[in-house]
Amino acid sequence: MAHDPKREDYLRLSLRYALELDAADTASAARAFATFGRRFARERDSLPQSDADRAFHLVALATKIVDYQLPFAAEPAAEQLIARGRALLEEAVSLDPSCWDAHRMLSASRSTSVDERYRYLAEQVEGVRVACEAERDQAVEDFGGERAALGATIAMRPYWRWLASMAEDALICGRNHDAINAAERLLSSDPSDLSDVRFTLAYALAKLEDEGGLEELARRYETISPARPANDAWLLLARCSLAHKRCDYAAARAVVRQLLETYPGCGFILIRQGELPDGEFARLRVAPYSEDELVLAVSEGVVLLQEGNDRGGRGVFGSWLARTVAELDPRSAEEAARMASGEGVQGA
Amino acid sequence: MNAWDELIWRCADRRRKEIGPLSDQAFEELLLAVRENPEAFVDHTPERALLFMARALDAYRESCRNDDLLDDESFERQRAARLAALHSACQRARESDESSLDANLLEVLSQDPAPDRLLDVLLELEKDFSSDEPPEGDAWDDIYYRPHLRLRAVVARTCLDTAHYRMAQSAALSVMDATPADPLGARHTYLLACARLEDEPAFDAACARYSHQESAWSHLARVLLLYKLGRMSAARRALRGYDELCRGGAYALLRPTYVEIYLPDRPDAAPCSFEECLMAVREAEPIIADVPDFIGWCQGFDWLVSSAARFAERNDLDW
Repeated sequence: MAHDPKREDYLRLSLRYALELDAADTASAARAFATFGRRFARERDSLPQSDADRAFHLVALATKIVDYQLPFAAEPAAEQLIARGRALLEEAVSLDPSCWDAHRMLSASRSTSVDERYRYLAEQVEGVRVACEAERDQAVEDFGGERAALGATIAMRPYWRWLASMAEDALICGRNHDAINAAERLLSSDPSDLSDVRFTLAYALAKLEDEGGLEELARRYETISPARPANDAWLLLARCSLAHKRCDYAAARAVVRQLLETYPGCGFILIRQGELPDGEFARLRVAPYSEDELVLAVSEGVVLLQEGNDRGGRGVFGSWLARTVAELDPRSAEEAARMASGEGVQGA
Repeated sequence: MNAWDELIWRCADRRRKEIGPLSDQAFEELLLAVRENPEAFVDHTPERALLFMARALDAYRESCRNDDLLDDESFERQRAARLAALHSACQRARESDESSLDANLLEVLSQDPAPDRLLDVLLELEKDFSSDEPPEGDAWDDIYYRPHLRLRAVVARTCLDTAHYRMAQSAALSVMDATPADPLGARHTYLLACARLEDEPAFDAACARYSHQESAWSHLARVLLLYKLGRMSAARRALRGYDELCRGGAYALLRPTYVEIYLPDRPDAAPCSFEECLMAVREAEPIIADVPDFIGWCQGFDWLVSSAARFAERNDLDW
């Protein structure tokens, strides 16, 4: 699933558009709706929209820059992208003081540490919930019928993203109970887990070495995400780290094998263990079971991989994982080595 | 580990078994006689192995005395040499008595292997030397059982160092249960593991069990626990407590210092002394690294930073 700001932008405007068309007769409404897609793409300003809709559009533009372009940009282009992203978000906030996504994304660059950011999010979360719920109730009233459900979820999404950021930041700060609380709050507000916060939850449970909690979460997948079984890289890495933590190396190896089967040809990612900046808007959108998904899971997994006193500097579980993958899949080790030497040449 | 004391007691005990029942007073006198000249009473393999180790540990500790005067490179050289000497002495001791768990343990430790490798070897040792249930009463009183307790305490600390926190907790707890007086300080490891696992009920229960006798570990673990639980004003008060009640605690936390590996136990230190703080901070290092903004938060308190600076100035330490 995951959040898609562009699509959300589209849905917001189409809902509002539909509302205005209700007054018109059926034939002209159908005609008008047929032109919506074109107008959305080319003459956005000609469509009816509120300041909140305009602000969200700016958030969507900022997300494209900050989350999807910046990670691949080199200096000095990166500086410009950062400035551009920030300007868009500031404009969003000035258009709509309740643009929680913009507030949240700006708070990352305004905080001096993840801890400070986490505390900001935690202090504000109640206000965000109240505002989003009021928005949701209003949407239900305005739209009625089938559109009410869509309007309600769109109204709640900024709150869900707020909680997802809280869970991720808490995990990074080493506040694992807080991460679990934020994730559970999100799951109770959005039981079908658009934010995939259960992935963060799996890591927090692994950090607390809560085997029962992790297996319970795996069982809950059936109701949370019926379409996606509990075999994503986050759950598997969490399970693998727990087997490793109880020194059950045979079980841990079996999970590594499962990871390699679920993400074929991706062993080198488990060896390299690269880190990416987290998406500011939300976790980046990637295809399920893709190479990119494993990259994200490993990057978020540094909290598990890099723990403990390890002379190689990778962390105890990280070292073990890299060694084990290299044993089980020697080709991926060669690939990882090739990529590392390629970087060396580039750097020189 | 006081190898001489244990050697003397073991020699006297062997003699007592040979000559038959002795009154307590007679045994005390026998102990005095052995203490006068322990070497003269060493006539069996296990005691001989222990004697090797007692001498080797003396030599090792003696060679540590001038470390402060050395530059980094010479220190590394000296350290490698004395660990190698201790290692070969323990190897000889182990070869002379394969059944000596202490010799096996010290042989491994003096090799100073990587922590994850060390844990594997220690767990192997536990398998090879698996023992029955600990003796009735305080297991520490059974001098023949002490090596098992020592190994278990080392396992607990190594688990903590390698991020196996539940294992650290349960290994430490088994030592605390076997020897309630806890001369090996397994409770310190236990408290740090509780902090990392954010396990407040277990932390509180352990503090109550030891009648709230504080140590550098208990103070530091409390700060970490409350910080991780997000109870920031309580965490600040705990940090204040650590600073005020642990001598040099602020300095030890803000300027982590190299602490030598334990062979096989922690060196003795007064409760809440600077030496304890250095050890507590070193043992907590993986946990501190796992709360990346923790040290920054500590440094935000002027009273902590100036306390550390004052301690450095008074004790002629780098700041």
